[in-house]
Amino acid sequence: MAVLDDRQDVDVSGFARLKARAWAYRDQILTFFILVGIWQVLSMTLGVYWVGSPWGVLTRFVTGMLGGDLLINASYTFVEAIAGFLLGAIPAVFLPFLLRRMPMVTAIIDPVMVGGYGAPKLALAPLFVLWFGIGIESKIALVAITVFFIVYFSALAGVRALDTKLVQMAQVAGASEQNVARHIIFPGAVPYIFTGLRIAMPYSIGGAVIAELISANRGLGYLVQLGAMNFDTTGIFTALAATCCIVFIGNWSVNAAERRLLRWRPPADIKLQAGT
Amino acid sequence: MAAPLLEIHNLAKRFAGRTRNDQPLWVIKDLSFSVADGEFLTIIGPSGAGKTTLLNMIAQIDVANGGEVKFQSELSPLNDPKALNPGLSCRIGYVTQEDNLLPWRTTLQNVLFPLEVQDRLDAAARERVNMLIRAVGLGGFEHHYPHELSGGMRKRASLIRTLAYDPPVILMDEPFGALDAQTRTQLQDDLLRLWNLGRKTIVFVTHDIGEAIALGDRTLVLSRAPAKIIGEHPITIPRPRDIRAIMMHPEFSGLYQRIRAQVQ
Repeated sequence: MAVLDDRQDVDVSGFARLKARAWAYRDQILTFFILVGIWQVLSMTLGVYWVGSPWGVLTRFVTGMLGGDLLINASYTFVEAIAGFLLGAIPAVFLPFLLRRMPMVTAIIDPVMVGGYGAPKLALAPLFVLWFGIGIESKIALVAITVFFIVYFSALAGVRALDTKLVQMAQVAGASEQNVARHIIFPGAVPYIFTGLRIAMPYSIGGAVIAELISANRGLGYLVQLGAMNFDTTGIFTALAATCCIVFIGNWSVNAAERRLLRWRPPADIKLQAGT
Repeated sequence: MAAPLLEIHNLAKRFAGRTRNDQPLWVIKDLSFSVADGEFLTIIGPSGAGKTTLLNMIAQIDVANGGEVKFQSELSPLNDPKALNPGLSCRIGYVTQEDNLLPWRTTLQNVLFPLEVQDRLDAAARERVNMLIRAVGLGGFEHHYPHELSGGMRKRASLIRTLAYDPPVILMDEPFGALDAQTRTQLQDDLLRLWNLGRKTIVFVTHDIGEAIALGDRTLVLSRAPAKIIGEHPITIPRPRDIRAIMMHPEFSGLYQRIRAQVQ
């Protein structure tokens, strides 16, 4: 990691940046407490029956995590989301590379892809339950199909954004077709792929929860459904809070992987891209 | 006398008009010249004279619409885009106008790139690359990414990337065009020094008359499009040359005037 250390030494604005980040954190925390305050007021005026109180949700969250009940259901949803994410994203990343030499095939499957991208995935959930049962398979399938189309189009855009000048340079320098794909096209497409992954990550968790809402006996979606049937808004809010936590973990992982893989980008770019 | 290393004979290139009724635009027509082994040839011409197009055809990354290019008496398949062999199997290197460094590779990785894809990455090659990096003053910047380098440093990296794998012929397309005068002089100096180490054949395109005289053994002058050769000037200023003092040389101003008169 000599490279990184080196760069930090050169970076004279490091302290200033740290300070800016601390200010941003302070503002984030402030916003969080204002929202919780509004929530508390709503809960007090409308009654805990309609809007579970923040404190109630927090205690339920902590006891649920410690007692294992919430933890088990959350990890179930987490596994569905991750398995579906990988199952959908990996072929979606590689398909545009395989199709690169086959513009005809790409054109032929394009309407199918656009249709798949546009189709409401919620409507597919009952179908997948019919096909794959109410177990984990139907949820993974729904997540995978949701993630696949999002990532496919961003990877395709990355392959198409190829700089032909770089390819010519590589060919003159003796690079084979395979070398060009590996050293020029793939690294060039990585920023685009990450844009897709970052968009797809929350969808994968949302997809898993929605699939559980339709029919399941485990998972956070099931807890939401259970809470609704028992008129237990605090239970619903607790399940939603757990969902948000998973989204945070997922986002953080994608951002961390991106920062690592895209170290070569100018920092301004990373800041714009990474957003959160 | 041995056959020239590179022969260009009646080369022609046209671009289609913007609309269907437009006449096709001939950028190059009836262009002929040859390059001897070990010669430093500079080509000068007004902008838009098809200089880049000419180099692209020699490097086989573009097709021609007539004429022929022979390298080592071997005819280039310039009428069939599928048969093109960019770089002629690493025998012709090409330093383009833009540096075309790979943004995801560090300086060192960029310079090593051709050797890596040619499967020639051994200890001797690495040693040579290290020598080149130090020779052009990039020492200490081996692990920086291109966006962390200045324009001149990127140019140097792009130059030694081609020198590193040692192709017998190197084409250079206004490599120092976009640089400030100070950096340009420094790079011209570096180039001449490196060229003196192992005299390879260089075809150097520029629009700067002073640069063409300072670097070349011979200068060709191109006309406006459709480009053809309208002047040829052997440059007999003895080597090694001092770029900073070359303007004081008695032959310089005469050559400059004569070339100036031909470049429209």
